[in-house]
Amino acid sequence: MPGKGNNELEGTIVTPAQSPSEESAAPPARQAMTVSVLNEQGLHARPAAVLAREAQRFPCDVRIVHNGDEVDAKSILDILTLAAGQGSNLDIVASGPMAEEAVIHLAQLFQKRFR
Amino acid sequence: MASVILKGIPVSAGISIGKAFFLNRSGHGPIPRQTLAPELIEPELARLAHAFDQFREELVQVRDRIPAELREHAHIIDSHLMILDDPKLQGAAREFVQKLGINAEWALEKAVTDLQRAFEALDNPYFRDRIQDVRMVSDRVQSRLAGQTGDIKAVRNRVVLMADDLSPADTAAIEVDKIMSVVTAQGGKTSHTGILARTLGIPAVIGVDDLEEHVRDGRLVVVDGLRGSVLVDPDEDELAKFTDLKYQFEAYHASIMRGCHLPGETIDGYRVKVKANIELLEEVAAVIDNGGEGIGLFRTEYSYMNRRTLPTEEELYEEYLDLASIMSPKRVTLRTLDAGADKFIALLGNPEERNPALGLRAIRLCMHHKDLFRTQLRAILRASTVGNVSVMFPMISGLREIRQAMSLLRTAQAELRQQGLGYDPEMPVGIMMELPSAVMIAEVLAREVDFFSIGTNDLIQYSLGIDRTNRYVSHMYQPLHPAVVRSIKHVVDAAHQAGIEVSLCGEMASDPFCVPILMGMQIDAISLNPQAIPGIKRIIRQATMDDCKKLLKEVLESTTVSRTNRLVRDTIFQKFPDELMFFSSLLDQEEGATA
Repeated sequence: MPGKGNNELEGTIVTPAQSPSEESAAPPARQAMTVSVLNEQGLHARPAAVLAREAQRFPCDVRIVHNGDEVDAKSILDILTLAAGQGSNLDIVASGPMAEEAVIHLAQLFQKRFR
Repeated sequence: MASVILKGIPVSAGISIGKAFFLNRSGHGPIPRQTLAPELIEPELARLAHAFDQFREELVQVRDRIPAELREHAHIIDSHLMILDDPKLQGAAREFVQKLGINAEWALEKAVTDLQRAFEALDNPYFRDRIQDVRMVSDRVQSRLAGQTGDIKAVRNRVVLMADDLSPADTAAIEVDKIMSVVTAQGGKTSHTGILARTLGIPAVIGVDDLEEHVRDGRLVVVDGLRGSVLVDPDEDELAKFTDLKYQFEAYHASIMRGCHLPGETIDGYRVKVKANIELLEEVAAVIDNGGEGIGLFRTEYSYMNRRTLPTEEELYEEYLDLASIMSPKRVTLRTLDAGADKFIALLGNPEERNPALGLRAIRLCMHHKDLFRTQLRAILRASTVGNVSVMFPMISGLREIRQAMSLLRTAQAELRQQGLGYDPEMPVGIMMELPSAVMIAEVLAREVDFFSIGTNDLIQYSLGIDRTNRYVSHMYQPLHPAVVRSIKHVVDAAHQAGIEVSLCGEMASDPFCVPILMGMQIDAISLNPQAIPGIKRIIRQATMDDCKKLLKEVLESTTVSRTNRLVRDTIFQKFPDELMFFSSLLDQEEGATA
């Protein structure tokens, strides 16, 4: 395997301090993480399909931000229009229920090259 | 006059008149725009959802039916499933129906147009081209909306099956008794469609440009599998003419079938064996039914195509053994792997070649991948125990290649002996004569092998420097070019001087206009597609060697293709008027191009 054996995720969790925390003990409403595309051919049809399918499993809203473009992570077509090549850095931004789980799960997909 | 007459390549003879039915129709008619009354919006949404559901169900079924060896393609279907249910496609279409009060077709088209704008803006060609996937998905949904099922199971009466292309999977799913003929836009002459149609004995025309543009479902069409044309909306005169031709052809066909089991022998007693070219074991039935006197060319590439691993020796051995056993005692000639150029084998990871026709193909490829070659040679040798197997090497350019191939063959024999596995030590070994260099030194090569087989398709291309699939030069593909005729004559004479057998296995062997010339050269055997055997046998059985020799002499004296073609046509007209009427000839394509 070409991987270097690091189990850590490449991105860092940015816990948004600015999000207005309501009194409830609910989990943070907004989560974000920066990931990079490791797949050789970029975020092409197969990984895009996996990403959209997995994003659809979460109830929260998930967006992908790339070079100032922000798209719906649950739409394979939106993801494809990012035309993200190998090495691009993307932000996964989730807000709503299970946002943290969604961001971690999706970031792992990038790390595993969507295999 | 018919509204339009489309031209294509005839791959299976016969005439059929019937209604067109499109399988997997990719296009759809003009999209209607309607404004809906508020109470019709809900039913319209349901109609839209139903069309999406139908196509989703079909995609899922297709995905589940994909055989294990093609599993890697399943992800394409997964992507299409994701696209189908994408919020930007189905979601957007629903929204347009709801908010704008427009019909489902228009709403879907609007969603696609919006996506198209987004994709067209992309620089990367891979991502830009993904709009094609969106188009493909939306086209299928549009045809569901238009009420076309695209499913052959929906057909009640017999139809003229039309498609952009037919995959082996499509052909396997077809209920054959519902199809009177086949027309496709794609396809080469050795494609699956042609084999299927010939096996079923129904007419077929392939390579028809703009098929979907000119023909709609349910239109009356005439399919002329003799000359390769499709008439859309024929008028009464045309219908009468083709109905008449259909009956005449059927009568002619019945008459040639009655004589097809007689040997290929001229009136004056000259014998020419008429054998078959096949690539699938299943075709053996057609060889036997049509009176084939053996298999002159078994193309072995099929077992290597569309799979993830190379075939094992056992697999190949069983295939060859079955073939030889069924045909026994008639001879079966196996051609070793002739891949490369046109038949790409993904398994070998071939390097990209700038000029594949002159590159690593056929015997060269086998020499490059010796293990692959060894496996095939061992399988052939083991099957040779049946006693009727011959082997031949394709694309031999000179002595060195023959000796290398022979040495590998001897090594394989020695290995088998050591392992106690049997083979026929007398198995004849021959070569394909298809390169001009081999033709020039035919006398030298004839001393090394047991037989020659002239592959005219490649010989013509390499001699004249013509790629016949290139439409700018394909008119210069001339089977009766003086250089080609002389090359064939030279090879036949060299073989006979050395006392070895010579056969011919290109398309010329199934061309009634060319066969009398080949007979004049005293060729020992010809090998052709099984369904063409009865017609060619009839020509042989009605000819005399005197006439053939006379024709050959005139052809050899001719210095222009146009004069040769005229000579041949006159002879056929006098001796074989039926053939002039029922067969398209390789010569037809040069008409007007010989000036």
